[in-house]
Formats: sequence, C-alpha cells, structure tokens
Amino acid sequence: MSKINIVRIHNELLGTYGDQGNAEVLVFRGKFHGITGNIIDVGYNDPLPTNGDIYLLGGAEDAAQLLSLEAINRDRETLDLVIERGAVILAVCAGFQIIGNSFWAAGKEVAGLGLLDVESIPGEKRFVGDIKIKSTNLDIELTGFENHAGRTILGPSATPFGKVQVGHGNGDGKFDGAVSGNIFGTYLHGPILARNPEFADLLLTRATGRKYSQITDPLAVQYANWRRKVTK
Amino acid sequence: MRLAISIFIAKCAGFLSKTILRKSGETIPGRVLLKLQPDAISKLARDRKVILVSATNGKTSTTRALAKLISKLGPTVSNSSGSNLNWGAATTLMSKSEFVVLEVDELHLAKVARDTKPELILLLNLTRDQLHRMHEVKRVADRWHKLAQDLPETLFVGDIDDPFVAYALNGANKSIKVSFGGRRHEDGAVCPSCGKYLNWTKNNYKCSCGLTNKNPDQEYAPASAAIRNANLANVAGDAIGAKPGPINESELERSVVRNFGGVEAKFRLTKNPASWREALAGVKQSQVLLILNARQVDGIDTSWLWDVSFQSLAGKEIVVTGDRALDMAYRLHVEGINAKVAKDFSTAITTFDRGTEVDVLAAYTAFFELVGA
Repeated sequence: MSKINIVRIHNELLGTYGDQGNAEVLVFRGKFHGITGNIIDVGYNDPLPTNGDIYLLGGAEDAAQLLSLEAINRDRETLDLVIERGAVILAVCAGFQIIGNSFWAAGKEVAGLGLLDVESIPGEKRFVGDIKIKSTNLDIELTGFENHAGRTILGPSATPFGKVQVGHGNGDGKFDGAVSGNIFGTYLHGPILARNPEFADLLLTRATGRKYSQITDPLAVQYANWRRKVTK
Repeated sequence: MRLAISIFIAKCAGFLSKTILRKSGETIPGRVLLKLQPDAISKLARDRKVILVSATNGKTSTTRALAKLISKLGPTVSNSSGSNLNWGAATTLMSKSEFVVLEVDELHLAKVARDTKPELILLLNLTRDQLHRMHEVKRVADRWHKLAQDLPETLFVGDIDDPFVAYALNGANKSIKVSFGGRRHEDGAVCPSCGKYLNWTKNNYKCSCGLTNKNPDQEYAPASAAIRNANLANVAGDAIGAKPGPINESELERSVVRNFGGVEAKFRLTKNPASWREALAGVKQSQVLLILNARQVDGIDTSWLWDVSFQSLAGKEIVVTGDRALDMAYRLHVEGINAKVAKDFSTAITTFDRGTEVDVLAAYTAFFELVGA
C-alpha cells in the first residue's frame, strides 16, 4: 500500500470552474490501485507543502489568478525543490497560464512561474464549449469543457499536451496545453480527471513510479466513452 | 410607427403564440414590440414607479413576493413567469399600471435599468452561474457597480453579506444595506472592489479598501435563502411605502408538489452550486430523484457539480435522470454514493413505490418541463 499527498493549490482562488474535483478523482482512482491519497488544501496564506506528490492548480478569474501567483512566488524555493524531486503538476486554464512564462490578467502582462515554455496573451473572442483532444502522452482522446479568453503560444522547448479535434485549446485550433516531464498544462475543465480517468491513472503512475494494471470501474468507462462520442 | 399601433401588433403576436404555440406569452409580445419600437421600454416606463429585482438565485419568487406587497399600494404589473430579459420587461410594461415590479437577468439589469429609471433596485445575491454565458462573477459585479454609479436617483437595496452585492451598493448614491449576521460566500475569496485577498473572520469580511458587511443599515438574524429573500422584499416594499408581508419560507423556496401515479414528488429548482446546496439542505425524504440537464439556461458546463458535496444523500435511495444523468451518477459514484440511472423522468418516478414521497431536485429546464411553475 503506497501513500501519496495530493496538494490542491489555492482552491479558494483557483476553484471557479469546478477543477477541485481532480483531487477527489485521484483519491478515488488511487483506491483501486492500492494507493491511499491524502488531499492537502493550501490557502492563500498557507506555505506550499514540500511533501506533495501531485500538485493541482485550477481555473480562476483574473484577480484571483494574480493573487495565487503572488502566493506561490512567496514559496518559489519550495516549488523548485518539489519539481526537482519529480513531483507531478497538473495546471488547468488560469493555472496553466500561471505556470507558463507570462500571461495577461486585469489588463497587464505579468511574469509567470516559467515551468512550461509558453506565453499567454489576451484574445478577442472567448472560447466557450466542449473540447476534445488527442493526448500526446496517452494514445487516447480526452474530453472536457473550455471557457477562456486567453491564447497560449508554445515556445521552442514546449510540447503540446494534445492535438485539438473539437474546440479551440490554445487558440490556434491545433493544440491544447503543454507538457514537460511531469508538468502538465491544459485548458480542459470537466474536471479533466473526472471525464478522463485514464489520465488520472497516468498521473498516479508518474507520482509513484509504479505501473498499475487496468482497473474495473464500468461507470467511469461508460461516462468517458459517452463524452468522447457526443463531443463532436 | 406609433407606439399604440406597435403595442397592438405585439399583443396580437402574443395572443397567437399563446393560443397556437401554447407558450407563456411573456416573451413574444416584447420581442415584437422592441423590433417595431426599439425605445419602447423607456417610453412605457415613463411616469411609472418601476422596481427591479436581480440576483443569481431567488429572483422569481422574491419578485412575486414584492409585487404582492406593492399591489396593495396601487395597480401593479409584474413578469410573473420568469421571462427576465429585456423583451420580458417590454411585455410586462405593455399592461397599464402605476407600479411595475420586474425580475431582471443579472447581465440585462444595466440595460433595463437605464431604460426604466427605476425607483428602487433590489439585489439579493451573486454567485457562480451559467459561466458559459456570464464568464466571470466579477464581470457581472462590475456592471452592477457601474450601474449604481450611473443612477444616483435610484435607491439600491441589497444583502451586503454577499461581497459582490456590497460592492454594487458601494457605487450607489442612495442605498439600504441589509445584513443577516454574516455568511461565508463560496466565491468570495477576492475583494470584488480592489482585487486583494478578502479577509474573512468566520462569516464576516472586512477589506483594507473598506468593503465590509459590518456596517449594515438594517440587520436580521441568520436565515435560509428563502427567509432572507422574504425579509429583503419587505425592506424594499417598506422603502416604497408598502406594509411588510408575513415571512413564509415555503412560499419563497420555489418548491412545487405534484402527484405522479401515487408518488408524491416535491420539486425544487436547482441551477448552480449555491442553489444545489440550498436544495440539498431541504431534502427530507429517504427517496431522492436528481434531474440534471445542461441546456442553455441550466449552464452548458457541468464541472460545477464537483463543487457541491452530496454527502447528505448517503444512505438514501437515489435515482438520477436528465440529459446529463451520467455526469451526476459519476460525481456521486466518486463520493461513494450509489445511484440508479433512469432514461427519463417517467421511468425514474415509477421506480418509487406508490403512496411514498420523493424529493425531486430538478435542473431549471426540467423544472419548467415537468411542473411548469
């Protein structure tokens, strides 16, 4: 039986678009694999824990996004430490923008955490609706819901998280998100791990370094397949 | 074209839509009228006492309660069926009266208010809802705040335990700030006024920019949303000169009881995290039917389901249905709650024994389809 710590960063700020469920799904899927998941909620005033195995960031409005960045920057050393240790990071929407090189919020450009080689800029039209991508890491389709005005441009050392099949993703209609090692950024809400349990399993594998066998959860499969089928 | 002729044509259109299409008739006439006379709302509102009500949750029932109070003062018209965009307002204004009490959609409030120049605007609450359309809560709050600044003659009444409402009222020249002893707002981590982290002490907040719920003009005991709204309707009514009405919770919680083949079903309207939490707190039976849709007015994204805890349903007999029944079933599954998935409402309701009672929590569109209230 292994234990993992799932750190939900600033859900009070980055919880506007339902992404907090990602932590619950990780705990739930973990149980099937014999992993005990412990969710640690980090508030704006709390220090970033050093003992996390998976760190989660979600979607937010502009002011909240800026506050979250400011709080993470206070603990920049901790963040660098856990990344060096190989911790998994899943950042969605505003969270994805935060971990890039730069983004725009409340009318100004700010420097991000620079964990992914991407830049986000404001777009004219907001992208709202169902999205389907072909994952780079898993040979499957992932579905979700996007709701963002930002556009993200991949830098030379960035690999896209997936290829857009339905929806907009980073804005060019070609790619969504970015990935580098164990650091994942995407625009998919849903929450993404609820809609795509295989991706939750991948994150668990990355966090523990173990390969897990397929699990039987018919409802999860039925739900994921149905969303894939109807997102077109 | 003259206004009177436009109204005549609009009313004919409404009559046809009611008799042939069997619609509520609150939307079509207004649509036609505004097509013929784009400034009809401001013309029809002139020299009348207009009161507007807006919020994320509780608009329809609170508007009904307030219209009832106001109607004692003189002839009153109101958009009673929840048609709350500008054409709903136009339809209602076509009927002559001294007083007009209108429920208005959060995003349409500014437009309708600028056209009607209301005596009073009552703001109940602002939380996450239909984010595919609202995009951000702050975006709506900014519009309300700007509106209050633009209407110095209008009295703004609102529940300042909600920081978004307090922010709106802060822009007003005349306001009545009401508090119910404080209440933690689920989306209230950031000050809507200055963007700083909002300091909460239990149920009260005080920002360094000055935004706080600790300076109310009127204070009441903490209460359910239904009771808060009844009190707010009384405060607004009193400001216009109406006598307060009785505080009746069941009248304001927007529930409807219907019998389906011997099963007594108590329907509650649910549409966003805040209204789901309120409805879940009111579940009394051991049998519960949840209906989830994601059509436009329901909000087309279901991610918010994960912001609601359904733990209070553990151990009950749960059936889920609706267009997005699987989203609900999987959300419950991860919380360790088993639910049966039924393909439609009639299949779902027959899974319960005759002579029993069931609590039905229904998405906006399902509520209207099934009970039409």
